[in-house]
Amino acid sequence: MLQLLINGLIAGSLAALIAGGLALVYGILGVFNLALGQMVLIGGYTTWWLHQVMGVSLFLSILGGMGTGALLSWGVFAVFIVPFYKRHRFLPLVTTIALGMILDGLILLAFQESPRSIITEGKMPIRFMGTYLNLPQMIMIMLTVLLLCLFAWVMHGTAFGRRLRAVVQHDYAAMSLGIRAPVLHRLIFIASGVLAACGGIFIGVDMNLSPTLAFPLTIKAYAAVIAGGKGNVWGAIFCAYAISLLEQLVVGVHWFGTLYIPAGFQSTVALLVIILFLLLRPQGLFSSTTRAA
Amino acid sequence: MTFFLHIVAMICILLFPVLGYNLVFGKGKIMHFGQEAQSIVAVYTLLVLTTQMHLSYGFSFFCALLAVSCVSLALAWLSLRLTPDGFGVLSIALQLMFLAVVLNWQSVTRGALGISGIPRAPWPEAQGLFVMIMVSSAVLWIACMWVIDTSIIGRQLAALSEHPWYGEAQGISRRRLHIIVFLLSGVGSLLSGAFYSSYIAFLSPSDYDFPAMIFFVMCVVAGRPGSVRGVTIATILLVVLREGIRFIGLPIHLIGPVRLILFGLILFVAVWIRRDSLFPRQRTV
Repeated sequence: MLQLLINGLIAGSLAALIAGGLALVYGILGVFNLALGQMVLIGGYTTWWLHQVMGVSLFLSILGGMGTGALLSWGVFAVFIVPFYKRHRFLPLVTTIALGMILDGLILLAFQESPRSIITEGKMPIRFMGTYLNLPQMIMIMLTVLLLCLFAWVMHGTAFGRRLRAVVQHDYAAMSLGIRAPVLHRLIFIASGVLAACGGIFIGVDMNLSPTLAFPLTIKAYAAVIAGGKGNVWGAIFCAYAISLLEQLVVGVHWFGTLYIPAGFQSTVALLVIILFLLLRPQGLFSSTTRAA
Repeated sequence: MTFFLHIVAMICILLFPVLGYNLVFGKGKIMHFGQEAQSIVAVYTLLVLTTQMHLSYGFSFFCALLAVSCVSLALAWLSLRLTPDGFGVLSIALQLMFLAVVLNWQSVTRGALGISGIPRAPWPEAQGLFVMIMVSSAVLWIACMWVIDTSIIGRQLAALSEHPWYGEAQGISRRRLHIIVFLLSGVGSLLSGAFYSSYIAFLSPSDYDFPAMIFFVMCVVAGRPGSVRGVTIATILLVVLREGIRFIGLPIHLIGPVRLILFGLILFVAVWIRRDSLFPRQRTV
């Protein structure tokens, strides 16, 4: 059981990184980005290419991966989001489907379908309280917690964070107080792209990068955002951990001593979460209220 | 000649669900991305009953029609209950859920291996004759869709998509229209699945994944949402492009990625051109 909890923590750390940024974007712009999974993979693949092919040090490769995530999300925001979301907030849903196809094609052209791992050595499992996990996994869990703490400090302890939260609550009211909302929109989208790239690096370090991972990653992140309450960053992060743990428990436990659920159904947990929450509690677990006059 | 007949067959097979989807997404502006959920239920019910349980084709077809009608009614109900974007995400989740069930319920569906050895019967064995039947059916389907599009249902659907409240204030029943269009799109999925599985003699679950759904979206957006003529022409051109890309001399491992990039660009350009009409702004006084 403890091993399942550890596995849930590892998978949850990855999902939390992606879902946190996504929740922020959804809270402010109200747009769905269906190319998120591909943006995650681009960050991971760039790091793999820099480290394994070009021979750059791991630290610089990770910085390169995050930089690529930032550049990509800046470009995506300028081309696939801005010209559309002011006309109709559903348009980016279709444009990001197109972007997802383009990025899928580019990933296949550049990196082929073979699995790619950023780190190939030093993954010997360590025994810890009766469970097994390796050093990169421990570091990744701690780094995720650190990153989320930094994120919390920026959001709640700085003037910049207060401006961000003001824009999340009410765009136009924030602008009337002199906050440059369009600039913050761009910055938030870029921040979400960097977090997505971190997720890709996490996958590349812990497991293998594969083009088929993109869409399941997007779906899991959306499940967390919907369950956490649309736009509620901390709700999404909490639910990302909860969904990952549930995924581990569903296929890892012999229910009632006899019932065994095949591993193939693991990915349906996120889908079930989406369906059940949209049907029974569409506002999510931690719905945030919008202030109105 | 065989390849030409194959292209014609593929166009006819795709016209059924695409035109049905055009009624839902193009004309009705209902954010539905789960058309393939209907296809999965329809085609698997039909083929499991005929090939695994050896029931007659007519009875199996009737059962598949019942099954797809149930799914269509459920989707119609959900589209009325949820916000548009919520329904969009839910419909994707439903499709992936059905796909996961099909892939993992191996004792019945044979999982990722798919169902092979599907008999051509009750359709004719000769490819030319079979394609002719498909062409006739597709023409009939286009005519049906055109009649619906220009009838009071089409006009009511257009009014409702522009402003649901004003439409309902004019006496248009949103519930009735959603049920009609979802049932029609379900019938389109069933016809397409029935023809396709008999034509290829094989059913693969990978034919019903999310990229297949994106192809429907692309046909509708590129052809002009709601236009039967435009969507028909777009489907013909896109199928010719999809099948014809293998003859431009690219190495075989590049065809898939190049096709993805090309279709992604086409979809983006189509949305760019139609960015003011794809989801029209509500008119105000």
